Amino acid sequence: MTAEAVAAPAVRPVRPRGPGRHALALLAPGIVALLLTYAMPLVWVLRMSLNESGEGGLIRQTVSFATFAEVLSSAHWWNVIGQTVELGVLVTVCTLVVSYPLALFLARTTSRWRGLLVALAVTPLLISSVARTFGWMAILGNQGLVNKTLGELGIISEPLQLANNLTGVVIASTEIYMPFAILAMISGFGRLDPELEHAAASLGAPRRTVFRRVVLPLTLPGVLTAALMVFVLSLSGYVTPRLIGGGRVFVLATEIYDQATTALDWPVAAVLSVLLLALFGVVIAVYLRAQKVLEARFTGPQGARS
Amino acid sequence: MGDTPHLVLSGLAKTYPGADGAAVRGIDLTVERGRILAVLGPSGCGKSTTLRLIAGLVAPTAGRIEVDGRDLTDVPVHRRDMGVVFQSYALFPHLDVARNVAFGLEMRAVGKAEVKRRVGEALELVRLGHLAGRRIAQLSGGQQQRVALARALVVEPSVLLLDEPLSNLDARLRSTMQDEIGRIQRETGITTVFVTHDQQEALSMADSVAVMNEGRIEQTGTPQDIYERPARPFVARFVGRANMVEGTSRGRDGERTLVELPGLGKVPAAGDPVETGRPATVMLRPHRIALAAAAPESGGARGTVLSAAYAGETVAYRVRLGDDGPVLDVERPTGSEASHGPGAEVALSWDPEAPRLVADPS
Repeated sequence: MTAEAVAAPAVRPVRPRGPGRHALALLAPGIVALLLTYAMPLVWVLRMSLNESGEGGLIRQTVSFATFAEVLSSAHWWNVIGQTVELGVLVTVCTLVVSYPLALFLARTTSRWRGLLVALAVTPLLISSVARTFGWMAILGNQGLVNKTLGELGIISEPLQLANNLTGVVIASTEIYMPFAILAMISGFGRLDPELEHAAASLGAPRRTVFRRVVLPLTLPGVLTAALMVFVLSLSGYVTPRLIGGGRVFVLATEIYDQATTALDWPVAAVLSVLLLALFGVVIAVYLRAQKVLEARFTGPQGARS
Repeated sequence: MGDTPHLVLSGLAKTYPGADGAAVRGIDLTVERGRILAVLGPSGCGKSTTLRLIAGLVAPTAGRIEVDGRDLTDVPVHRRDMGVVFQSYALFPHLDVARNVAFGLEMRAVGKAEVKRRVGEALELVRLGHLAGRRIAQLSGGQQQRVALARALVVEPSVLLLDEPLSNLDARLRSTMQDEIGRIQRETGITTVFVTHDQQEALSMADSVAVMNEGRIEQTGTPQDIYERPARPFVARFVGRANMVEGTSRGRDGERTLVELPGLGKVPAAGDPVETGRPATVMLRPHRIALAAAAPESGGARGTVLSAAYAGETVAYRVRLGDDGPVLDVERPTGSEASHGPGAEVALSWDPEAPRLVADPS
């Protein structure tokens, strides 16, 4: 897609007066805002990552990969990176599994309540994720709703460890990212057509086969987009791991914050930020590759469509 | 082939929950083995629902569906063994042409070598052998239609069901595919039911036509029956163009009934007799009325041309009978006869077989 977009103007005849100048004028405010809020801080972080830190928050202005080397040779930081990816994978899998049936229902229903139901599915977004995380703490904590209820019913004698660990963070994050996943899936389910399911059934496919052979392959692009979204959100998630993790879940986002504000080790914070960015790069590369493979099934191996 | 009932619908009805009325209100139909039945009607008449009832995609509220004497009413879609070609074709966009066609065979656990052979044969039948590896998105509308046909036929279903098979094609392709579907049906000898709103399609493709309106069948018969001997005013108006003139029965005249029509006097009309003194409706097809410049003081039906629209092969006239009689549509071929401009006085004539009595629904 990108290749086409780049190559296309070359074959078009050169227009005497393009919309170039006007377009640039219209784009200017956006470009300035992006430069100030995105590009400059990014450059600044990259620069900071090449510095070295001394004692007591001292920053030595250098241009070296010493801090990178220090971080990458430390088992602790590899552990943090590992836990970040582990949390991302767990949250993504859980979110996809619970969101898929909902999204499938919402995409296929012909009920006149459909609009309302879709709106309901995303209403949690109206409440800040901080408030929702506190809500989950009240539910999952040792004195929380789940443990209290199970304890009083005599089902458990010891409280279940649902908060202050990875389990709690996964449960809360899953709920928090569900609206995003559902929206991404619904908008990615455009190829789903009830008539295709009817056609498969008329050719002798029982319901489960219809799902496996028709519904699932057609909804995969939507699932892939949702997966990317949730994974990226979860990699950069700060509030939920911090609050529900109770200081026992170490992920890149929380560690960057701690390094920058508590340890005052800005070079290390910058290196961790760059590593997180690199992780995003890998994830997006994988996504684009997977998307290309998926799309090839619809448009043919060369993607040739006249 | 023929004459043995293959597909039998009896008292078939469907009411959708929450809908005002029934979509299908008791349908009785029989299709003989190897024949083509067209279900013809305006949109919303229940013809697509009827097809879906036969396919098993919709459960009937009442009635029975039988194939070869076997009751299929409660058999789920995937075990009904009906080949369905959907209006949108409903081809699987994630599979190539060959895998689309192979789908039904794979569901029947046919061996790999046989799947390959039968897919090849089916694609040859629809003349698409060279496109087996194409994706659906790379095909034209006509090619998609052929794939849909091949996919439905490859499993050798007991009945082939086509939902508005030609409606998504442009006019030129439509007549090609009309011939193609006819050829394929003859080659396979499969019992076929197709649904259409296009009377020309129904008349030219089908062995018998069932005209539907508001969930009921108005008339079933051969294309000739439907066109030349419509049983009801709806059929006369929906199938081809028709002048419907209301008058009063004035008794019998041999084989025919004499009907007194405003501006026309007593006209003998064929069809089921109507009692003397009762209202009667007479149908006159526009192309069966001849026009001639009116000679002064001659007898017979006379009228005034209101408008004449030239349409290449024909001229469509609107003629008012007498001074304030009904207005008739008249269609005359161009070239062979003099044309008449608006305001011209004309004499109207027709062969005695042309006027038909059409009973009003009681």
